[in-house]
Amino acid sequence: MQKLADQIKDAAKKLLAEQKVDLVIGFAEGSLPLRGTPLFARTPEEADKLTWNLGCENNLANYLRKREGKVAVVAKGCDVRSIVALIKENQINRDNLYIIGVPCSGMIDRKKVNAILGGKELLEIEVNGDTATLKGNNCSETAKVADLLHNSCKDCRYGNPVIYDELVGELLPEKETDDFAEIKKFESKTTAQRRAFMNSEFSKCIRCYACRNACPVCYCEECFVDCNQPEWIGKSALNTEDNILFQVVRVFHSAGRCTDCGACERACPMGINLRLLTRKLVKDVKELYNAEAGVNMDDKAALATFTADDPEPFLVKE
Amino acid sequence: MKNPYLPLPVKLVKNFTETEDKLIHTFTLQFLSEEDEKSFPYMPGQFAELCVFGKGEAPFGIASSPTEPGFLKFSVAKVGVVSTALHLMEEGTMVGVRGPLGNYYPVEEFKGKNVVIIGGGFAFTTLRSLATYMLHPDRRGDYGDITVIYGARNPGLLLYKEELAAWEQSPDINLITTIDRPVEGWNGRVGFIPAVTEEVAPSAENTYAIICGPPVMIKFTMPVLEKLGFPAERIIMSLENRMKCGIGMCGRCNVGGKYVCKDGPVFTRAQLNELPNEY
Amino acid sequence: MIVSKNDIPSFLDKLIGEYQVFAPVQEGSYTLFKQICSGADAALTDGNTKLPAKEIIFPQSEKLFSYNVTAEGAKLESIIDDRKKVVFGVRPCDAKSLTLLDNVFNNDKYQDPYYLTRRANTILVGIGCNSPASTCFCTSVKGGPFDTKGLDLLLVDIGDAYVVEVVTEKGKTLIDNAGFASASEADKAAAAKAKDEAQVTCQVNTDGLKEKLDVNFYDPIWEKIHEKCLGCGACTYLCPTCHCFDIVDDAVDCNGCRVRNWDSCAFPLFTLHGSGHNPRTSNKERYRNRIMHKFKYFVDNFGEIACVGCGRCIKNCPVNMDIRVVLEDVRGSEARLDS
Repeated sequence: MQKLADQIKDAAKKLLAEQKVDLVIGFAEGSLPLRGTPLFARTPEEADKLTWNLGCENNLANYLRKREGKVAVVAKGCDVRSIVALIKENQINRDNLYIIGVPCSGMIDRKKVNAILGGKELLEIEVNGDTATLKGNNCSETAKVADLLHNSCKDCRYGNPVIYDELVGELLPEKETDDFAEIKKFESKTTAQRRAFMNSEFSKCIRCYACRNACPVCYCEECFVDCNQPEWIGKSALNTEDNILFQVVRVFHSAGRCTDCGACERACPMGINLRLLTRKLVKDVKELYNAEAGVNMDDKAALATFTADDPEPFLVKE
Repeated sequence: MKNPYLPLPVKLVKNFTETEDKLIHTFTLQFLSEEDEKSFPYMPGQFAELCVFGKGEAPFGIASSPTEPGFLKFSVAKVGVVSTALHLMEEGTMVGVRGPLGNYYPVEEFKGKNVVIIGGGFAFTTLRSLATYMLHPDRRGDYGDITVIYGARNPGLLLYKEELAAWEQSPDINLITTIDRPVEGWNGRVGFIPAVTEEVAPSAENTYAIICGPPVMIKFTMPVLEKLGFPAERIIMSLENRMKCGIGMCGRCNVGGKYVCKDGPVFTRAQLNELPNEY
Repeated sequence: MIVSKNDIPSFLDKLIGEYQVFAPVQEGSYTLFKQICSGADAALTDGNTKLPAKEIIFPQSEKLFSYNVTAEGAKLESIIDDRKKVVFGVRPCDAKSLTLLDNVFNNDKYQDPYYLTRRANTILVGIGCNSPASTCFCTSVKGGPFDTKGLDLLLVDIGDAYVVEVVTEKGKTLIDNAGFASASEADKAAAAKAKDEAQVTCQVNTDGLKEKLDVNFYDPIWEKIHEKCLGCGACTYLCPTCHCFDIVDDAVDCNGCRVRNWDSCAFPLFTLHGSGHNPRTSNKERYRNRIMHKFKYFVDNFGEIACVGCGRCIKNCPVNMDIRVVLEDVRGSEARLDS
């Protein structure tokens, strides 16, 4: 990790010193253990703060839309997939973007850490190979790093950036195909069971819109939830139906564009299982159109193209 | 404890299309009882939340004057949910009014002084209230010269045409109207407010300037007033930030630490100079 | 007085007959204040609830009044909640936040009957913090882990029992007939020891902060500070002192309710005029407003910082915008104090 961090720093400093870019967006050490925080470096001195650790979980593609000037970004596999999707949507000008690709085998989920510490606060984390030592106030636990990863990271098969201008670190071995096990399990439930689950999950929503704002592909000038003429949806968080409607529409709007980076779920302060919905759509798009968002520069966005033999199982035929 | 969120039911008795482009309507609201009217004592410059039941409420400056008993008048541009619903409303419908809210033009300070009122476009509403208040026979003697400079893009967009015609004839008030570009049949002035103000404004000595209008008009008229010698303490403005509660609690209309709804909407230029430019 | 932890559920059960009782309840990985039906539901664990206790007095969503409108008139009915409440297990920072909010909802001109009625009918039973989290900085903003501001009773955890300190008359009435034993000298010593040992390790230096904010509105530092902020409302909704709200109608035709919902100064639509003009155009202005409001405007208006140091915004920000770091950046900004 330290080696990766140094390589990122060197790459960024060089780009800035040679004035190849005006800005490098990467991660600095955050203020909490296991927390990387987005950093905007405009000078080699500022780039000295760049780092890399298992808490660099934010999707930095979110900061790249409609930027002026030349920008470099430190990008994991999922960041790069979002970048690719956004380039196709003309939100990012590839010519003005320099990608420092970082192969990523996953970021640690602090919720899982908290669970292991039994709700006690994490004060320090030490990672040694594949084992993490978690230290709290008067307590210490060890765990396999692999068991602590975000679910989105466990499911991710694109830890290696699909495009980059410069690669830092070593490419990782290919992972097995995604089996969508938990989605299949959810699909096999009855409508009533699914409804009950959604109700219990989305009753927690406080409508802070952290999920939407953390999502790289949620960039509408005016989100339908904010619109009041017409008012598509109630604004009160008390109404679980409206909370569900918000997510359902959001998820449908990002279908075929969502790269399953999990940024929405990581951003949610209330710990709502948001990827259940996003992944359901990822699975559907994959099954229907054999398409995945942001995995190469050539494919067109699945729902922005049409062919005569597109499957249309949703059409009701007389 | 009085509930400041409860509107007073009033009857919309007139829905009048004020401007040629039909985007401004003037609504006349009648109190349901004398008691209700007494519960709504207001002054020129104050605003109220107009409430369309089922749609919501929105703040508007009161265009009528307390010297005109029995009704309230509001001139409203069609921009949002509430204003659109109001525009479509049939006469005789029950609506709500909540207020009066905010502070008012310092009419006590104006006593013994000259006053120049400068207005642009449909921001003339509370200025109408002010002029009407000062022109009332019981009060006219309290003030020196009253000058009104009022401009719109074209004649059809001037509000309160009948009153303007009456003011034209009145010795109590000096009215100057202007439009942006020449139009056939228009005998008044042509030109933008800042230029016209420079030309016709009275001496700044012993005079208050009250100015309301679109931001661009304010921006270019302010230097003119300064050039004419109006000190910041005698330039009065009315802000219109977005508001909801109207009572300084919901947090959205603040300019620095001041709430436009509770501490304003009327501020002197001197007060605004001390605040951030978030309006 | 002293009460054994084992006796707390039955004490709460007795209160439930007379009051609506709110206490932290375990919800998955965190606790939330909820109205409890049984004393056993109270989860008196370490640390803060996910959402602050303010939502009991100032709910995220509440009906203000109902209306029924006909051609002849409008029938309006205020929906004021005057039920007696006990909030059990509130932390001192959350209690202090209510004393700050009192300034807002009872300002120089208007009284908010919804907030003030609930406030007057609520008894706050606090539990001091024996082990403050690393993100807690209450002592930097005139609070403390055993501060009694806003509380009616304070409970001090001494292991298997709480030593009860009476703060107000209102608090006293709650335990008058509870049958609690008097605290022995040893219990009192244990409580004093717990208070002594509770360390708020995190300090935020606010020296000169207000003076800096007085002059740095246009400082370029704000360009940098806001840069990573996503503009979501997580920090504002989790903040015990944020009070912005929106008012909407929930109605079919002319019959329905006027409702208020929490709103956030982080959202672009919050200040957007009908004309399309927006006084706080970008995230920079909006984030600056949040900091200015808490650390300057509120101080100007009410003489106190509108932050109680609970650390919720620090722990829950999706991009680790840490208010402690922001304040340090502000203090270090180059705005000249004499300009």
